[in-house]
Amino acid sequence: MNTRFSTSISTSTSTHASRSPGGRRDDRKHIPKADRKGLYQRAIRASFTKLNPRVAVRNPVMFVVWLGTIVTLLVTLNPNLFGTVQAEIGKQRLLNGIITCILFFTVLFANFAEAVAEGRGKAQADALRSTRSDMVARQLLPDGRIQEINSTELRRGDQVKVIVGDMIPADGEVIQGIGSVDESAITGESAPVLKQTGTDIASSVTGGTRLLSDELIVRITADPGQGFIDRMIALVEGAERTKTPNEIALTVLLAVLTQVFLIVVATTPAISGYIAGFLDHAVGAAAGNSLRAGTSIAILISLLVALIPTTIGGLLSAIGIAGMDRVAQFNVIATSGRAVEACGDVNTLVLDKTGTITLGNRLADEFIPVNGHSVQEVAHVCLAASVFDETPEGRSIVQLAQKLGAKFDLDESAEGIEFSARTRMSGTDLNGQEFRKGAVDAIKGFVRSRGGQVPTTLDEAYEQVSRMGGTPLAVCQGNEIYGVIYLKDIVKPGLRERFDQLRRMGVKTIMLTGDNRITASVIAKEAGVDDFIAEATPEDKIDVIRSEQAQGKLVAMTGDGTNDAPALAQANVGLAMNSGTQAAKEAANMVDLDSDPTKLIDLVTIGKQLLITRGALTTFSVANDIAKYFAIIPTIFAAAGIGALNIMELKSAQSAIVSALIYNALIIPVLIPLALRGVQFRPLTADQLLQRNILIYGLGGIIAPFIAIKAIDLVLPLS
Amino acid sequence: MLQGWIQIALTLLILVAITPFFGRYIARVFMRQRTILDSVLNPLDKAIFALSGVRAKEMTGWQYARAVLYSNLAMLVFIYLIFMLQGSLPFSPTGLNAPSWDLALHTAISFVTNTNQQHYSGETTYSYFSQFAALGFMMFTSAGTGIAVAIAFIRGLTGRPLGNFYVDLIQSITRILLPISLVGAILLIAAGIPETLAGPAIVPTLENPEISQAIARGPVAHFEIIKELGENGGGFFGINSAHPFENPNGFTNLIELVALLSVPTSLIVTYGIFANNLKQAWLVYSIPLAILIGFIVITTIGEYQGNPAVNALLGGQAPNLEGKEVRFGWAQSALFAVFTTASMCGAVNSMHDSFMPNGDFVTLSNLFLQIVFGGQGTGTAYLFTYLILAVFVTGLMVGRTPEFLGRKIEKREVVLASFLILLVHPIAILIPAAITLAFPEQLAGISNPGFHGLSQVIYEYASAAANNGSGFEGLGDGTLWWNLSTSFSLLAGRYIPIVALLLLADGMSRKQPVPATAGTLRTDTALFTGITAGVILILGALTFFPALALGPVAEAFQIVKGIG
Amino acid sequence: MKFNLLNRSRLLLQSATPVLETIAELWTAWSRQKLPLYLFLALCFNLIVAPVVYAASGNEFSHIQAWALGLLGLATLAISIYLFFVMFIPEKF
Repeated sequence: MNTRFSTSISTSTSTHASRSPGGRRDDRKHIPKADRKGLYQRAIRASFTKLNPRVAVRNPVMFVVWLGTIVTLLVTLNPNLFGTVQAEIGKQRLLNGIITCILFFTVLFANFAEAVAEGRGKAQADALRSTRSDMVARQLLPDGRIQEINSTELRRGDQVKVIVGDMIPADGEVIQGIGSVDESAITGESAPVLKQTGTDIASSVTGGTRLLSDELIVRITADPGQGFIDRMIALVEGAERTKTPNEIALTVLLAVLTQVFLIVVATTPAISGYIAGFLDHAVGAAAGNSLRAGTSIAILISLLVALIPTTIGGLLSAIGIAGMDRVAQFNVIATSGRAVEACGDVNTLVLDKTGTITLGNRLADEFIPVNGHSVQEVAHVCLAASVFDETPEGRSIVQLAQKLGAKFDLDESAEGIEFSARTRMSGTDLNGQEFRKGAVDAIKGFVRSRGGQVPTTLDEAYEQVSRMGGTPLAVCQGNEIYGVIYLKDIVKPGLRERFDQLRRMGVKTIMLTGDNRITASVIAKEAGVDDFIAEATPEDKIDVIRSEQAQGKLVAMTGDGTNDAPALAQANVGLAMNSGTQAAKEAANMVDLDSDPTKLIDLVTIGKQLLITRGALTTFSVANDIAKYFAIIPTIFAAAGIGALNIMELKSAQSAIVSALIYNALIIPVLIPLALRGVQFRPLTADQLLQRNILIYGLGGIIAPFIAIKAIDLVLPLS
Repeated sequence: MLQGWIQIALTLLILVAITPFFGRYIARVFMRQRTILDSVLNPLDKAIFALSGVRAKEMTGWQYARAVLYSNLAMLVFIYLIFMLQGSLPFSPTGLNAPSWDLALHTAISFVTNTNQQHYSGETTYSYFSQFAALGFMMFTSAGTGIAVAIAFIRGLTGRPLGNFYVDLIQSITRILLPISLVGAILLIAAGIPETLAGPAIVPTLENPEISQAIARGPVAHFEIIKELGENGGGFFGINSAHPFENPNGFTNLIELVALLSVPTSLIVTYGIFANNLKQAWLVYSIPLAILIGFIVITTIGEYQGNPAVNALLGGQAPNLEGKEVRFGWAQSALFAVFTTASMCGAVNSMHDSFMPNGDFVTLSNLFLQIVFGGQGTGTAYLFTYLILAVFVTGLMVGRTPEFLGRKIEKREVVLASFLILLVHPIAILIPAAITLAFPEQLAGISNPGFHGLSQVIYEYASAAANNGSGFEGLGDGTLWWNLSTSFSLLAGRYIPIVALLLLADGMSRKQPVPATAGTLRTDTALFTGITAGVILILGALTFFPALALGPVAEAFQIVKGIG
Repeated sequence: MKFNLLNRSRLLLQSATPVLETIAELWTAWSRQKLPLYLFLALCFNLIVAPVVYAASGNEFSHIQAWALGLLGLATLAISIYLFFVMFIPEKF
């Protein structure tokens, strides 16, 4: 119950609460005013530097293509290098040369895909880096003196004084003072944020942001190079990029497939050589030699490259980097690709009610008189008790009271009584009259302490409000209870549909609230969550997560307070609010710069999209092999009399090989936009998704290359 | 024509009809539930356990694998010694001496691996003692090993501990192989198959009573039934089930056909009972069944239509009966050829070498795929490994880390699954075949050069690597090179996958299962079954496309065009 | 003539130290750079493989072709080993 009122006093730092969840991405602000000019030039340059064997060796599929290119280059220079060619030497050299070029471009295209994806992150990192420069910090020495030192010399635990106009030198915790800070460098949000000591939410400051008013004493919490912005730069730049579990498993499969086709191709010359020897005798030397020409080293390497999964091999890392980038464009910083991938696997979302499911501010909807008072009287007392209350709830009470005709004259003797967590009420003292509003229990106690009676109708009114899903506040004047204010919780628009979508995707939502059971169940029903936990304490959060995880489920949650930190660390996906404490941010594996907890739902979608993109392109790549086999094998083995299998009626072995390779190379740049943007995600059940994607990428992957290779063959001037 | 099709349809019908009963029975045996034979066999089991000192302790994957390897090695040494010493051992009415060391080694390895590839003729190489004490013994234990591994694999997939290899081996023999063999052997004796320790019968020939003829015989009937039931396939006589003493009539042929596919088909249902998902079991069952029926149609059409070159001489269409027993005809010969290569039994009732290219294509494809019901136990395990691979390749497309039966498919699973199912086979077939074909005069011993010769070589290694054991025949395969190089394929094709399967199952059984939701990929749907079939064809079969193209496919075009 | 020779040998002696230094440097560079070392070892090993290829092929290949084929075979083997590494320790790639 105690968490309920804390929201009514927090100086609403979350300025985004009113934005509808899952709104169009264009509506969202982008942090990095990243310079995307020259992105492609830089990517093209990087595609060449990535040819360095030390870099290339990290991508097994493309490394094999790269080595193949070197061998085909050798047979272009000397076609007789590995055996006397059976065709006209000039023609053979031309073919080898063409193959070399296409293979080289295949490698370049793959490098380009990775470079473009990386480039987008780099541009973001550069924008962030520009906010950071060495600056002079005023270190507060233990004896109270102030010493000016370079900000890079600050260590964890040091204290610094920041005065208006200064950059905050490093991440830290406000231990004294109050002031507004411009955090636009990291959040892109221009409105300044109030920072003060004591409160959980507003006491953490980030290095590189600027103090706009007053002065603060800050205790530094991060050593140089380990601050929030430093970590952010490292993350978006991909410097710390390690392969995610799925990527690793996929790499294994790609290596196995490459190995299999390497064996197939390496054993082909012996097999076809035996047949060629047979044809020499049975049909004539021309037939045998034609088969030998069809299995020259350059053609075998082409066959190998066509069969190994170059499409997914070339795009795999780009997909992963782009996934991180998409998260960053949502103004969320993920600490690892693993965390983004885990989003797609999440089974259960644990969501706080206030701020996530309902708007942060509850609004007064109705005054319910008790004890025989009229609505007008109640309105008057409510107005009196709320004039000093600047919270949105307080203002909504004032508005409602004024609408009902209540008036209240303030004079100088009036004094506002602030809300405190201990008293759990607030109000106004005027000429000895005490107007109070607050939790029903608190007001009961207040009235009793003043010698008053608690009317029986109060509990009825209280239950009535709870049943409507609202929060009841009692109001009193002195020892007399006047009535109950019905504070209505407003479920964020569009959330119901989102929860329905999540359910269809098999994701369960659990709402946590400090409200009582009745209120909680009404809100839960209205919002459409699957389960709720009422009167929840922070410990409940971690218990819920543990019990879900014990069933083998992956759990995602959001949090901002220090007492959320253990739960954030326990959850598989912990999304901390940027407005939250340093402890929460460190325990989480993602930080939302906009401090919008509803984004967790979007992150699930992004995670799924990332996995789907990878699966779709793998399926596409593997399915392509059928067409490539049917293009190449019948034409290069045509001398063995299996020309009738050339169902695409390709012109010749040379034309078939070159067409298949051109298709193989071009499909990489064609799919780069898809890899970077991600496959379109629809909130469907697994079976529907599989059906849809297998039709597009499986069946499409079988058919598309047949059409494309035939088309290229028709256009090619090779005979 | 119609009669042939009815024979085929009836055989298939019987096979499918007994599957649920047999599958259920196997499941009961290995779930340690009561079975009808308990009263007789429980004391027997106890006696065996007491004598052998086996303690029914649960094994980890690696322990299970080690138990398989050590026990198989011990049996290998045991039967090799019998072969080498058979001259001084009893029951050798024809006084046969030890074969060459490499032939004995090849035979021993081939029988330990449940392959029964034979580079010899039984009646002139191995004594009765070698046949029943070494070969007959291995037919039970190697088949039992396969069943035990499959059961351990199924247990692992369904989240149970793997069990104890020795207990599983003993029970698979005492509860499944031995009782059925007993009944089957009696049926076969009744149908006219000999079971005797007497030496060859010496009879005067009909044409000239002055000249007598030796007719080989021996303890055949018991050997015959376990040969089929255990998917061993090693014939007592050189020409295997084409011999009138191994397979005298249509009735014995039917028994043999059903016996040789009964275990791998039933094990899929056993899986369904372990997983408590019979729907999935029957859907998975439909994949090999559909491939099998397709293959039967392709083969029988080829055999029925006959050889165009011969037909041209005859002036009309006639089935291809070259290399076939007339008592079986085109239909039952073709059916037997498809069944025996599908099931990794390897018994033959006709010469596969004499089939039309359609038959070559099908028998080779069966050996390449290994899952058209497949080997004793291993075929079922491979089928589910393909399912795991299909889950991995396409499962990402539903936006989650792929799961099979609620267990995540991660790096370890992909390494083991793709290694055992995609890589071992090409290594064990294509590499030695390429070496052999690089030196056709020195190594290959091909009797029919050209496309068909290529098929002969590829077939021999495929048969070894898939642990099938049937021969394309027509290959001079009794040489040192053939004995040793196929031994490599036999061992690689048997033990690498078994170890990988057990480790895979072990890892799966230790994973925390994730509850299924609407977002979980369901693997028991027709759609997913279709996808698995596609993955099998693309990943499993396309690897061998070049070899098939230059072998049976080129031969088919050659026959049509009449070149060469 | 004699003087010339003497002179030369002295020059040789003088230049010996830097040569040794260079060799030492090369050696340390090599122990850091694995690729040239592997290439060198492959070329050495090919001295055994190439004659085998030449002998096995009859008169089909010239010396150079046999040498190149031997090297190509070794390269294929190397890629295969590399792919096995990728399969078993994919994290490193």
